[in-house]
Amino acid sequence: MYKVVIGLEVHCEVQTNSKNFSSAPNEFTMTPNIHVAPVDLGLPGILPVVNEEACRKALKTAMALHCENPDEIIFDRKNYFYPDLPKGYQITQVTKPMGRNGYLDIKVGEKEKRVYIHQLHLEEDTASLDHYSNYSLIDYNRSGIPLMEIVTEPCISSAEEAVTFLEDLRDVFLFCEVSEARSNKGQMRCDVNISLTEEGSDKLGTKVEMKNINAFNSVKAAIEYEIKRQSELLDRGEKVIQETRRIDEDGKTYSMREKVDAVDYKYYVEPNLPPVKLTKEYLDGIRQTVPMLKLDRLHRYINEFHLSEYDATVLSKNKDIADYFENILLLGSDIELTVNFVTTSVLSSLKKLEIDLKDFFITEEMLSGVIDLVHQGKISLDHGKKILYQALEKKKDPRDIIKESHLEQINDEEKLLTYITEALEENPEQVRQYVEEGKDYVINYFIGKVMQKSNRQANPNITLELIKKELEKRRK
Amino acid sequence: MEKEKLKDYAHKLMFDMKEEEYETLQQEFDIILKQMDLIGEIPNIKEVEPMHFPYVTYEAKLRKDEVIENEVLTTGEVLANCEHVLNDQVKVPKVVE
Amino acid sequence: MEYQKMLIEDLRKELDAGVVTSQELFEKFVSLAKKYQGEYNSFVTILEKYKMKKKKDTLVTGIPYALKDNFSTSNILTTGSSNILKNYVPVYDATVYKKLKEAGAVLMGKTVLDELAMGGTGITGHTGVVKNPWDKTREIGGSSAGSAAAVALGIVPFALGSDTGDSIRKPAAFGGVVGFKPTYGLISRYGLFAFASSLDHVGCFTRSVRDAAIVTDIIKGEDPHDMTSLKDTGECLVDSLAQDIKGKKLFYIKEICDRSQYEESGDQEILAVLDNFYDLVEKLKEKGFVIEEVSIDQKLLEAIYPSYMTISCAEATSNNANLTGIPYGPRGEGNSVDEIMFSARTKGFSELIKRRFILGSYILQKENQEKLFLNACRIRRLLVDKINDLFQTYDGFLLPCSGGGAPHFDEDSDKLSDRYLLMENHLSLGNFGGYPSITLPCGFIDGAPIGVCLTGRVKEDGLVLAMAEKIEEVTGLKGQIAGGDQDV
Repeated sequence: MYKVVIGLEVHCEVQTNSKNFSSAPNEFTMTPNIHVAPVDLGLPGILPVVNEEACRKALKTAMALHCENPDEIIFDRKNYFYPDLPKGYQITQVTKPMGRNGYLDIKVGEKEKRVYIHQLHLEEDTASLDHYSNYSLIDYNRSGIPLMEIVTEPCISSAEEAVTFLEDLRDVFLFCEVSEARSNKGQMRCDVNISLTEEGSDKLGTKVEMKNINAFNSVKAAIEYEIKRQSELLDRGEKVIQETRRIDEDGKTYSMREKVDAVDYKYYVEPNLPPVKLTKEYLDGIRQTVPMLKLDRLHRYINEFHLSEYDATVLSKNKDIADYFENILLLGSDIELTVNFVTTSVLSSLKKLEIDLKDFFITEEMLSGVIDLVHQGKISLDHGKKILYQALEKKKDPRDIIKESHLEQINDEEKLLTYITEALEENPEQVRQYVEEGKDYVINYFIGKVMQKSNRQANPNITLELIKKELEKRRK
Repeated sequence: MEKEKLKDYAHKLMFDMKEEEYETLQQEFDIILKQMDLIGEIPNIKEVEPMHFPYVTYEAKLRKDEVIENEVLTTGEVLANCEHVLNDQVKVPKVVE
Repeated sequence: MEYQKMLIEDLRKELDAGVVTSQELFEKFVSLAKKYQGEYNSFVTILEKYKMKKKKDTLVTGIPYALKDNFSTSNILTTGSSNILKNYVPVYDATVYKKLKEAGAVLMGKTVLDELAMGGTGITGHTGVVKNPWDKTREIGGSSAGSAAAVALGIVPFALGSDTGDSIRKPAAFGGVVGFKPTYGLISRYGLFAFASSLDHVGCFTRSVRDAAIVTDIIKGEDPHDMTSLKDTGECLVDSLAQDIKGKKLFYIKEICDRSQYEESGDQEILAVLDNFYDLVEKLKEKGFVIEEVSIDQKLLEAIYPSYMTISCAEATSNNANLTGIPYGPRGEGNSVDEIMFSARTKGFSELIKRRFILGSYILQKENQEKLFLNACRIRRLLVDKINDLFQTYDGFLLPCSGGGAPHFDEDSDKLSDRYLLMENHLSLGNFGGYPSITLPCGFIDGAPIGVCLTGRVKEDGLVLAMAEKIEEVTGLKGQIAGGDQDV
């Protein structure tokens, strides 16, 4: 058996209005070369100017990943020639990354694991290259878009862990609202470093690198393939070559290039970007916006709210849902009913309508209002849910629907008695059956009648008691 | 400094020079490396914090995240000085990774 | 009236009085430029069409000027005097160009520089050698060679240049004109083709200190495109000239100026430079300056040049990695992307800068960075700390710009050498610390102009100019132009 050691380098585009170092739009488009400022084209004489929002979001993510932040913002140049890199260098961070020495706790199956983060830094994306039969085309729209790179320590030991980490990291981006992190748009990409060592040996294995994998399931396939390939090599007593491998569609990897000598990127401090102090106030301001992460919320729901593991998982999975749920609780609504409404009515509506929560018509205040009426016994749970569906259909505040259709329950005994008396008088045969033959089921028959008469507003419990009483009176 | 090494450095910078130019460069390397060796002898040099900016005042402010339309080039401007253009993009020989 | 000899405010009066129109002035200067072009080669481009679109009235409204050909100018060829940009027509304006346009100044040409501003001779531009207007057998120095020559010839009253080690101040001295490089950050570098970003300064050539203040007032200011640009203080440099300089303290450096160390060599030229210098020092003392000799560790001073070379070459190799012929510039030949880059760069750069790039790249390599690049950056700090320390006591320092007049074409070269290591290379101290630094003419040796350089504290540009104007009074060389009796 071999011990698998995996490290990940994850790139994620940061969502901002403008690019990291220019005022051109950071926006996806199919039309080539329309979002390009002189800076993004590397024209002679250009100077980069740092986007505050990109820094803020990188710092926020670093905080969410429990990283240490630097005392000042500073950038470095990474020098290399490639046709997608118009300046001939990439502006990145080596000296003082936005975050260092952090971690993310993930849950793999039943087990929790802490994945250590080596660093998080802010850099810029390259231009995009499209390849054709015998030429390539360069589009500079992507050039300069802010990117965060998260580098883990080599502490991941299986494909499953790697994929869980990536999914959870994506949730961190979403929870922090720093990126849409859509891998199909290339907004989140990942390099995988993997090496195998003899179990129990303290010698490091040979590192194989797989670059630029977009989809999470490709990461899984690639890692599984590599573990198998490298194990077989080692079993046969052969050596693993240090190299960069590429992954094809069926998850097989093949050699791209051997690492003859590592590229020397000749990093040095970017002289055009003077250091900007990060004050405690500034960092504290960002820290206040850092949301609770998925796993923390899961723990809180179970331990503090006493939710079932199942409900807690469902509610903590998505930040918008979790926030929605928590906001309703903050409005003072009953926990149990809130869980019930959110996990059933809300989630099934979202699924049926195929929309995100942000496009959902029912606000926290609206739902809280309905839940409270149910809790106070003024409407039944069933009615509450029905009203919710009506509200969605009519795009109308459910609380108004309740008011307008007088759907609030009738608890007034006198009012209920008039319905009951009417019903009994209209149906002498059923009264006779109860009085003379002792047939209890006619009670339900009368409840139904009262419901009809009261436009389904009669309080069923009170109605039941009153009907019993009235029928008993007639027995005598 | 061996000439072959210098050639390798030049090639990594994506250009070549004539033989005699490498020879001039060899002499220059000798001079500058000799001078830099002297620098290494300055006492406690290692304890000095390297200076990357003429001065640091912490006056610089980060840029507000705004798109400024008139700083965005037209596609025509992006490609104005490019000699090989196809479909509004820069055309190069096929890039093989 | 000889327009070519006039200072900015003289021209202003002529224009305001309607004696001459801006367009007539432009045409006169253009014809003068063309007349001298064959002989001195100041220009890469001489503009034919008069164009003025002012946003406000200023002292320079309607006045023609020249820009070094490494400032980005929309729709006007900008080559950096390099084959790799020989057809490059920028699509955006450098901030200084934009400011001058708005102030109503009229660009009449783009001047020759040492290729991509790397060099100090004025002989490496792709359109040929720039000659010294005072003596055609001599260089004018570089890299802002054409701008220095154009102002010295009286083709324009002012021109902009860039200064990374001494690229304004050295050619200004050799051209007998004023060259001023203000505090790093006072003038935006946006649109200046970068050589070594942490040392690059924008500055101007003029024929008087007052004109340098006038031009700097127009082009200075905080720029959202340049994070290293300084906040506006609202200081008007022209107004600052009026301040009293009595009792201002200057120093000069013994290790550079001590006459005895050169006596053995028998080099009469350097001794003449020092005679001129000490004579000036005496006269300045009479004017009310306090001037003292200070001593700085020789080893540290000798480290100026190698540190400058190290830092500037390292930054230059990175700054010029954008020149690949792919998105712009002449496309190289070949079947792969690497081949076309390789071909474009091999053909596009001349020998000198290729050598600088290799040196710079070597310096930045992982295994050398500590010993070469970072040590040079450490020396930079030691030197700047030392000067700042002296600036606690002194308001500035004064030094000769060179050990003689401009070199003859057959004697100098840009190959690294260690002759007069200190005397020829101390001007980059001004770049290391980002200090305001100005050279002004102080005499002639064998018919070639020599200059003196005054450097002051960061952000005290006004004081430096005020002190320089006093020096100008003493030298009496304000407004001089080369061979200048021919009228247009």
